[in-house]
Amino acid sequence: MSELKEPILRIPETVKDDTFAYRDGVKKYLDGSTSEVAFRAYRVPMGIYEQRTVGKFMVRIRIGAGLAASGQLRRVAELSKKYGNGILHVTTRQDIQIHEVKIEDTPDVLESLLEVGLSPRGGGGNTVRNVTACPGTGVCMNEKFNISPYSIATAEYLLQDRSSFNLPRKYKIVFSGCAEDCAYASVADLGFFAHNENGENGFSVYAAGGLGSSPAVAVKIEDFVPAGEVLEVAEAIKRLFDKHGDRSNKHKARLRYVLKRIGIEEFVKLYQQERAVIKKEGLKGEIPEFRDVTAAYQKSGESGNGDVKVTVNVLPEKTEGLFGVRLNLDLGDISADSLAKAADIADEFGTGLIRTTQLQNLLITSVRGSDIEKIKSALSGIGIDVSAVDEPKVVACAGASTCKLGLCLSRGLAEAISEKLGEAQIRDKGREVVRISGCPNSCGHHFIADIGFEGKAKRIDGKLMPFYDVLVGAKTYEGQGKLAERIGSIPAKRIPDFVAEVFAKDVKAEQLGELVKSYDISCGEITDDYYYDYGASEAFSLAGRGPGECGAGVMDVMRVDIDEARRAIKTASRAADSGKKNQSLYNAVVASARALLVIYGLEPKKDREIFAAFTENLIEPGWVKASGQKVLEQAVDWRMGDTDSIEELAPEISELAERVEELFLSLDASLKFKAEPFAQKKESAGAESKSHLADLRGVGCPMNFVKAKLALEKIEVGEVLEVLVDDGEPVRNVPASFVAQGQEVLEIKNAGEHFSVRVLRKK
Amino acid sequence: MGLSEQQIERYSRHIILEEVGGQGQEKLLESKVLIVGAGGLGAPAALYLGAAGIGTIGLIDADKVDLTNLQRQVIHHTADVGVEKVKSAENKINAINPDVTVKTYHQWAKADNIREIVREYDFVIDGTDNFAAKFLVNDACWFEKKAYSHAGILRFDGQLITVVPGQSTCYRCIFGSPPPVGSVPSCSQAGVLGVLAGVIGSLQATEAIKYLLGIGDLLTNTLLTYNALKMQFRRVNIKRNPDCKLCGSEPEITELIDEEQPVCDLEKD
Repeated sequence: MSELKEPILRIPETVKDDTFAYRDGVKKYLDGSTSEVAFRAYRVPMGIYEQRTVGKFMVRIRIGAGLAASGQLRRVAELSKKYGNGILHVTTRQDIQIHEVKIEDTPDVLESLLEVGLSPRGGGGNTVRNVTACPGTGVCMNEKFNISPYSIATAEYLLQDRSSFNLPRKYKIVFSGCAEDCAYASVADLGFFAHNENGENGFSVYAAGGLGSSPAVAVKIEDFVPAGEVLEVAEAIKRLFDKHGDRSNKHKARLRYVLKRIGIEEFVKLYQQERAVIKKEGLKGEIPEFRDVTAAYQKSGESGNGDVKVTVNVLPEKTEGLFGVRLNLDLGDISADSLAKAADIADEFGTGLIRTTQLQNLLITSVRGSDIEKIKSALSGIGIDVSAVDEPKVVACAGASTCKLGLCLSRGLAEAISEKLGEAQIRDKGREVVRISGCPNSCGHHFIADIGFEGKAKRIDGKLMPFYDVLVGAKTYEGQGKLAERIGSIPAKRIPDFVAEVFAKDVKAEQLGELVKSYDISCGEITDDYYYDYGASEAFSLAGRGPGECGAGVMDVMRVDIDEARRAIKTASRAADSGKKNQSLYNAVVASARALLVIYGLEPKKDREIFAAFTENLIEPGWVKASGQKVLEQAVDWRMGDTDSIEELAPEISELAERVEELFLSLDASLKFKAEPFAQKKESAGAESKSHLADLRGVGCPMNFVKAKLALEKIEVGEVLEVLVDDGEPVRNVPASFVAQGQEVLEIKNAGEHFSVRVLRKK
Repeated sequence: MGLSEQQIERYSRHIILEEVGGQGQEKLLESKVLIVGAGGLGAPAALYLGAAGIGTIGLIDADKVDLTNLQRQVIHHTADVGVEKVKSAENKINAINPDVTVKTYHQWAKADNIREIVREYDFVIDGTDNFAAKFLVNDACWFEKKAYSHAGILRFDGQLITVVPGQSTCYRCIFGSPPPVGSVPSCSQAGVLGVLAGVIGSLQATEAIKYLLGIGDLLTNTLLTYNALKMQFRRVNIKRNPDCKLCGSEPEITELIDEEQPVCDLEKD
């Protein structure tokens, strides 16, 4: 701590206690007294995620307001080298992540971080996430006033209360120093914009924004609140969220769904009610002071800006003679050694403060103009070229290479775009940003990009191809926030050329749609390479992306077939020509049969294989009526020329297509059908029957156990009941309660958004 | 019959119990308990049994609520003074739990009416306050083969025992017949700690529920005594009396009789 001139985020005592208790939690997990599942629910809100490689963990450290002291970063670098893979990652929410840490080392990491005033608590899970601020806070020429005291105090206030770690979903708070919105308050759960009215500092307040699936721009809930009242505002929204957020459905839990459900008027009314209660009763807990942290890290400027050349990497600050120097990191990554040296450089030429930015860069502020050349040469020593005139920044999510949810290899595409822009010598003229998400989950924030890409898969000539939707026209500016709009889709392999052309020719917004068309699938030759994603040695496939993973992108693939079946049926009904009628009906059968096979990780190419897979996975388990088999068989007969017509089967084919669509629409987040299966012939007297199911997702404790127990009483001793429960408390408690009552829990399975618990009735 | 959503919620804490569960709760909802006397003992018993979802609760009492009752008969409120006790109790049970059907008998339990009432129920709680009535309840339950919980309270002392006719010690096995007139003072003469009624009446309700569910160990062949001043419980093991005039090998009592010597002189009020 001695290295800190002034603590930046004062870690509340409760968080310290939880951090020290964590070691014991890990011990219990390692000695087997805590289950995998229970431990996961405990670990994630501590800011520790398991990576795609089993047994490797990521520690996400919150960097409050994006302000880190050099000593803190040296410690982070040291820990990454000692326990992780030696590479740090700066996130779009100003966190810093240590990767590839072994679980048994995580307590050491957490405690060591705490020594320098850092904590990952709330880095993940349904918690108050890092409270961010624009990277230039305190030094930016445009800011209305220094907002970091408010950002930091808000975090300090909320973090001390343990209820902040058990919200319906995550709660992201953002402070922007002016309407330009470098911090993206326009799309936050709670966004503050600094204003000065009649000499008083304060904020306009926006709420219920967010990216991710069904993104939304935040709406205004306050024109102006005095700066001193931000804690009350943040607490009021937290209470509103806590009371009205939908805990039963993780996909509809964020604050924006509350707004969508009740409407803006009711939302504001509820907010005002919470504020009134807080006004009357006062805030609970300790009220942190609004400390100007940056002041402790300030130094005097010098007259004149000298001959410093202002670029995107070297920007003047409000104090004359001082500059901010941007360390452009490729996709937010920096080696531990470089980070440690960057910290030293910040000490030498800056004020010992380094900022993390929303574009996944680092920023050393308050460098004297006369030192610019020296810092440039120091930074070049760690491979950072400040003089380089940079191409537009490309931001990408982790993508399918490491993320279990990803469809496309977004990082590979990002590299290809950067390379292309470099080759074409495209310059960044301001805040031009390309953003890529490998799937619709939007971790690459493509909805707020100048040009955004959203990964998906498309079937071209019967084979899947990596594809991206193109989004343009986003705006993040106070009161004018606008999400990017989809203007078309293009194959992944055509994107670098497309992006280069957009930037090179300065294509006008209204012409972008046309340009997309010239890159879409209808133009130019499709080579085999198009079926391989960036850096992939195998043809693009969704196989293996089975249940348990978020199915957002897989859904699109299924939708393609379902639409195709529907179209074919329509065509058949209109076709005058009998040959065309039959062919269309046949196509409808194939598309219907193929649509849902992706769920099972299957991608059969031949019709015969498609039909066989459909029979095995959908007809036999009872998802589709047994009569569907007859449809398949007669379709094959027609195909083989054994019958002349399947026209009279049109009603059955329609029924089949409708059933498939019905099943599709009933898919839950873990890609399981919620639709009722048809009664099936009993499989040979198996000991366990699958039909006993109690879906208790969305039911809290203890009612979930009450209902599960009632369901168990209804089955015979020796039979098995499958119970679906939510993550967290439910999955910790329900199986344990069954065991306590002498029943046998056969299995607890993570099914993505929920858990499946199989209980054998013993008595 | 199946529990409704509301019932699942209302009885969730019962259902969670391994020994109760959904089936146990359904059993309670199908059960009938008769409470003889809606006074100090009957009040807590009726409240808890009503809350527990006993499907039918019968209440026998000819009395009306008096201001002196309120110190211990917690089912009656100040506004009920002058109201029939069974009516007052019925209102409270209904307010707690609409699942419960309350049957009221605004009469004194007598030899000529009690058997046919007892016959309708699965378990009986003796909440009476005089020896004559206590022997009457004991005998009626014997003849109708109904299990019941006996209890008595005075000053700081209480006692209770559960009787399963034909299987365990009955009240007459222990006490034979009522004591001589005037040898035992009544509550109105000797006083009683109000909360004592709550403790003992609640224990009676516990026995009723255990009996109906067939769980745990009943207080049969065991007289439990409680002294509130010393805060002492004592279990006294008692064997069936082979010479018992009611349940012995050569019984003398073959039909119900109304014993004399009302202790609390209620009828004189």
